Amino acid sequence: MEMILNLSMKKRSKHQIPGNDEYRADDSSMTVANGRPSGLAGVSSRKSCRNFGGFSILDIAELGMMTALLEAGKHALDFLPNVELVALLLIIFTLHFGLKTIAVALAFTAIETAFFGFQTWVIMYLYIWPALVIIVWLNRRKTSVWFFSILSGLYGLFFGAFCSIPYLFIGGINMAFTWWVAGIPYDIVHCIANFALCLALFKPLNHAMNYILKITSR
Amino acid sequence: MKKSTRVLSGIALMAAMIALFALVYSKFGPKSDEGSKTYTLEVVDDTGSTASYSGRTDAESLSGIMDELVAEGNFTYDGSDSEYGLFISTVNGITADYDNDGAYWSIMVNGEYGQYGADSQPVSDGDDFELVYEKAQ
Repeated sequence: MEMILNLSMKKRSKHQIPGNDEYRADDSSMTVANGRPSGLAGVSSRKSCRNFGGFSILDIAELGMMTALLEAGKHALDFLPNVELVALLLIIFTLHFGLKTIAVALAFTAIETAFFGFQTWVIMYLYIWPALVIIVWLNRRKTSVWFFSILSGLYGLFFGAFCSIPYLFIGGINMAFTWWVAGIPYDIVHCIANFALCLALFKPLNHAMNYILKITSR
Repeated sequence: MKKSTRVLSGIALMAAMIALFALVYSKFGPKSDEGSKTYTLEVVDDTGSTASYSGRTDAESLSGIMDELVAEGNFTYDGSDSEYGLFISTVNGITADYDNDGAYWSIMVNGEYGQYGADSQPVSDGDDFELVYEKAQ
């Protein structure tokens, strides 16, 4: 197991982001254009790991820890409506672990469903968090904290609009529109909170993640 | 484009979107503070003096309006459940004791005696209600 871990970490440490002294997770295709990695996150770097449906043992361990962090972050701020760390953590995870963060988002939804039962919001969660992961992944080469803060803010602002999609099928456009409009004050709070949290915590969390990945690569 | 310009543009975009959403909410959002039906309620006490209330409500029954007025703080009432529904005994601190002197609170709806108790008296747009302290002859 130690040999596998070392192999994985060595591979990861090769991919240093230009202009950034710290390390980020590599991508699964391991194609490097202009010194920057591209493609899906960390599968080929774990070729020698046992595979469980495409995920190595290390992947599963990492996914578990990320899901635990999401849950802890979610429940730590439960007392503040629409103030949450989930979006910020998913952004950070996606930048470091790529598209496999979608599995984290789905696991998070499954745990929330176990907590609160199956309701309409479960359908929303099944696409809204993976959508954030994909949006961030498409912008993974951006490094500006301002970019991700604004992205996180806009995501919060449009959260209700995205969530209203199932109501298009349940009650038509009028129901979806009414549902969305009724929640706009919460979306605005969500927007401002996401922006502020990302602006304040993106750098420390990113630094911490880089540090963890760096020391575990030794 | 300079980085600072891009950042300011992004923040301006977000602020503009917030303003737009707020505008949509103010235009199409729920108007929970305003009910869909207008009403007046007049209380005529044992001395013949009156207290008038009016407003908008979504209440289904007269007792719903009375509860809203109680919540606003300038109206009080007390009563008990009976086989005919809510039996009002006290309004604004004045108790009608039928057993003692035949006094009771009557409900008038648009100038006529109401046919229901306060908790089952329906509310329609523009209704004029009265709670009148009366004595049996």
